[in-house]
Amino acid sequence: MDIQRELLDTVLRADQAGANALLDAWAAEHGYGRLLVDVVEPMLEYVGRTYMDSQSVTLAQAYVAGMIAEDALNKMVAQNRRGQAENVSPRGPVVIGNIEEDFHALGRRMVGTFLTAEGWQVHDLGNDVSAQQFVDKAQEVGARVIGVSAMMTTTARNIGHLRAEIDRRGLTGRIQLAVGGAIFVLCPELVQEVGGDGTAQNALGATRLFEQLWQRSLEREAGA
Amino acid sequence: MNGIERVQATLTGQAVDRRAVAPVLSLYGARLTGCPLDRYYTDSEFYARGQAAVADLFQPDLLFSSFSFASVGAAFGGNLFFSGNQAPNLRRPAILSPEEWDTLVWPRHDTNPHLLYFQETIQRLVEAHGSEVLVAAPVVPPFDVPTLVMGIEGWLRLVLTDRSRARGVLEKCVPFFVEMANSYFEAGAACVVAPCGFMSPSVVTRDIAEHFSRPALAAALPQLKGPIVLHHVGAPMLAHLDLLTGLPSTLGLAVDRQDDLDQARAIAGPDLTIFGGPSVFRMPGYTASEIEADCRALLENRRQDARFILCTAGPDVPWETPPENIQALRRTAESFSGRSVPA
Repeated sequence: MDIQRELLDTVLRADQAGANALLDAWAAEHGYGRLLVDVVEPMLEYVGRTYMDSQSVTLAQAYVAGMIAEDALNKMVAQNRRGQAENVSPRGPVVIGNIEEDFHALGRRMVGTFLTAEGWQVHDLGNDVSAQQFVDKAQEVGARVIGVSAMMTTTARNIGHLRAEIDRRGLTGRIQLAVGGAIFVLCPELVQEVGGDGTAQNALGATRLFEQLWQRSLEREAGA
Repeated sequence: MNGIERVQATLTGQAVDRRAVAPVLSLYGARLTGCPLDRYYTDSEFYARGQAAVADLFQPDLLFSSFSFASVGAAFGGNLFFSGNQAPNLRRPAILSPEEWDTLVWPRHDTNPHLLYFQETIQRLVEAHGSEVLVAAPVVPPFDVPTLVMGIEGWLRLVLTDRSRARGVLEKCVPFFVEMANSYFEAGAACVVAPCGFMSPSVVTRDIAEHFSRPALAAALPQLKGPIVLHHVGAPMLAHLDLLTGLPSTLGLAVDRQDDLDQARAIAGPDLTIFGGPSVFRMPGYTASEIEADCRALLENRRQDARFILCTAGPDVPWETPPENIQALRRTAESFSGRSVPA
């Protein structure tokens, strides 16, 4: 069985210890330099592609996938090999955070981990972030995508303020708005209602969504 | 029949004049009375006024005591946060590291104001409405107590990375849950309702649900002084529903709108009451006619099933739901009056 298949099995079992043992064994033979590119990213890509359109992945499985990515990153950094990771071209920057009055951090943190593992430069503003703070940071760092998370219907509606702030500053299209959280899976019509430009079924689908929105921003600017 | 008779007949599989209706309207009472949420969720008198308004307007067959699990987290020292038109949340949990469990001071059910509030709301509801309807009390199951104490990420990480320590924490949560539920029964609750997050297929693997979470329920439920309804927590439960059967003290299973009711009945067996209904997430956006059509489809599906109660599927009915959408549940149940329900 190949390493990617074995790693996927540990994710589906939500077996964090097993995943770590696999990665350490692989790195002992091949080093940490290509751990992300050869092992972790293909696993994330497969899981994201397989499960992003379904609800069959559990929170525990997605969380283990996130921990695997985080651990792999940390080990690479610890061995000072981050810069040697081949074929990981930096992407972004992007800004993420939970909308004002929302304190459910888990999904946002997982999105941040998956994005970082795939080379995105992520500015995580944390919980309870105002519309102004989101857009200020996006303008400061030159982000084309803001990822905003909310868990409840009530807090999801606060995202409308962020949509209005982006539009008010004349950044419509230039800054794309990715919205996420369980409530958007349960009520897909909320995406349009709050002015989102896209969403994903779960944190694993976020990287693909951000890539799509980044391209859309570029196309929008080129066409302007 | 009044609500008590209707629900009790349903639970025992007897004939009813119409289907029992039990929308979860804990939050909605605050809307009906215009009560500030920080008072509604901390002062049982204001909660009881809200539920009196619920009873007047909707005449449900079950009333629910306060559905504010964040307040349980606050009892441990978490930072309660009120915002918008929703039950409070926790801005910051009481503890952040697994080691803090070892020195955690557990709140007492007979002295902690956050926990006493729950008992007082039950007492007030029973005093005011106990001759007409039963009072059901939402309760945090043992495997979800840590979510309120250290946050879901901290608890998930502990379960996934240090199962032995997590099991030790869970063992401490069993007596806390038992005392909490029994305090509700002593206050007059007819049953408790436990949304089972760490049993849900959307949250944990079957292995965790079966070998970590379920044993805690199996240990706790024989110690309860009354019956319990095990709840789907707002997501499909069918894939793990069998793990919620065969447990003592269980009188029913609340399932999600996406769960197939025929399959749910097959898994539950003939004796458990199934609670099902329209998704609360749809209730604000649907029209009353759409809610009625949804309820009618559900009742038609359950026509031969005596042990079925029409409720709302999910957590609390959202604040912004139009009252006529809630009234649609009872109206639909009444339109089925006179149709045969097996005795």
